[in-house]
Amino acid sequence: MLVSEIHYPQDILELLELMKTLPEALIYAGGTEILREQGGRGIVLPPEVICIHELSELRKASLSERYLDVGAAVTLAEVLELAGSALPSLFGDTVRGIGTPALRNLATLGGNLAARDRFMDTWPALSCLDALVEIKDSWGSTWINVNRLSDEAGRPAFPSGGVITRIRIPLERVDVSAVRKVGGRDYPGPETAVFALAARADKGILASFRLAFAGRTALRLQEIESHITGRSLPLSERERRSFGEEYRAAAADLPENLASQFAVLVDGALDLLAR
Amino acid sequence: MTLSFILNGEDVSARVRSVDRLSDLLREHFGLLGLQSDCRGGRCGRCLIMLGGRLVPSCILPAFRIRGMEVVTIEGFSQTDEYQDIVAGFKSAGVETCGFCDSAKILATATLLERRTRPTNAEILEQLSVAPCRCTDPETLVHGVQAAAERRARRLYHRAR
Repeated sequence: MLVSEIHYPQDILELLELMKTLPEALIYAGGTEILREQGGRGIVLPPEVICIHELSELRKASLSERYLDVGAAVTLAEVLELAGSALPSLFGDTVRGIGTPALRNLATLGGNLAARDRFMDTWPALSCLDALVEIKDSWGSTWINVNRLSDEAGRPAFPSGGVITRIRIPLERVDVSAVRKVGGRDYPGPETAVFALAARADKGILASFRLAFAGRTALRLQEIESHITGRSLPLSERERRSFGEEYRAAAADLPENLASQFAVLVDGALDLLAR
Repeated sequence: MTLSFILNGEDVSARVRSVDRLSDLLREHFGLLGLQSDCRGGRCGRCLIMLGGRLVPSCILPAFRIRGMEVVTIEGFSQTDEYQDIVAGFKSAGVETCGFCDSAKILATATLLERRTRPTNAEILEQLSVAPCRCTDPETLVHGVQAAAERRARRLYHRAR
C-alpha cells in the first residue's frame, strides 16, 4: 500500500511554492469527497499530499452588507453558523442538504467547488447567485465568476496550478428560489444532479432569472435567461411554453432520466412565473 | 510520521502513516473500542468523535489530519458531568438506545447542547440524523434531549450561584 508524504504549509506562499514543486500533489482540506467512496481498510492517496486545513488565511470569513466572503477551508457547518439569516435561502438550503451535520463539520466550501470530475452541490446555487471565487497561483490572485469553473462543454474546468482561496457570495435580494437534488439516492452518483433557481421581480417585471443544473456537466443557459429577464409577470402561456421548449432542447445531451427530471423542474419554475 | 494531539484530555503521540484512518488508530493503537469503523464512508455514525469540540466521523478522517488537535471519544466524554446529564435525561424520557447507536446519540446531543441550550425539535432531529438507527422513535428522542437540556441548564445554574 502506497504511503504518501504529507506536507503542512504554514502560509499561502509556502502552499504555492509546494504546488509549484509538486504539481501532482493532492490538496487536502476536509477530504470528505476524497474518502467517502474509499471503503477499504487503508486510505489511498497520491504520493504527495498538501494539507491546508490549518492555514489561517483559508479559515477566515467576513460578512458585509453586500457580500459574505468565505475562506476556502471554512467548513460548511461554519458557513451556516457565521452567516445565519443573512445567507441567501437558496445557498442555506443547499448547504443544509449536504450530508449530515457531522459531515458538514468536516467538508469545506472550497472542497465542494474543487471536485475535478463532477460538480458538487454548491455550484448551481453559487452560479445562480453570481458568486466569485478567488484563485491564487504563483502569478498572483484573480477573482473569477464561479461559472468559469465550467468549460464550454459544461465539464469542470479548474485552473491548473491554482488553488481556491476565497468564495464571495453576494447577498442580493432573491424573491423566488429553489434547490432540488435529482437522480436517485446514490448522490453524488453518475446520474445525479442539483437544480437551482433564483429570480427577482421589481414592479411586476422579472428583474433577474437564473437557473443552473449540474452533475457531471453543468448547464447555465444565460442566453435563455436574458430572453426571460425583463418580461412582465405573470408570463403568458405562450412565453411559458416557448421558454420550456428552449430549456428542453438545451438539455437534450443529458442522460435521459436527468433530462426528463430537468424538464419537470423547469416547467415548475416557469409555472411559478406564469401565476 | 509521529503525530501529537490531545486525546481525552491527555497529550499523546503515535506513529502514523498516510493510509491510517483515525477510527482505526483510536481503536487499535489507543484501545478505544467505544467507536466502530463499520461503513468507512461517514454514514453509519458509529465512529463519531468530537474533534475540536465538533462532531465528526472519524472513519473518513485520515489520522494525519488531526495534528495538534483535541479529540474526545465516548470513553473520555463519559467522565464528564455533561454525560451524566444526557444519560439521566434520556432515561427519564424513556429513551432506550441500542448498543449500535448509543454513543453516537450521546455525543450528538452533547455537541448540540454546547451550541444551543434550548434546541428546537427540528434542530434535535437534524442533529440526531448523524446516527441513522431506528431503535427509538423520534418523539421519544426529542423528549430525551429536552430532558438532558433541562438537567444541564439546572446544573450550570447551580454551579454559577
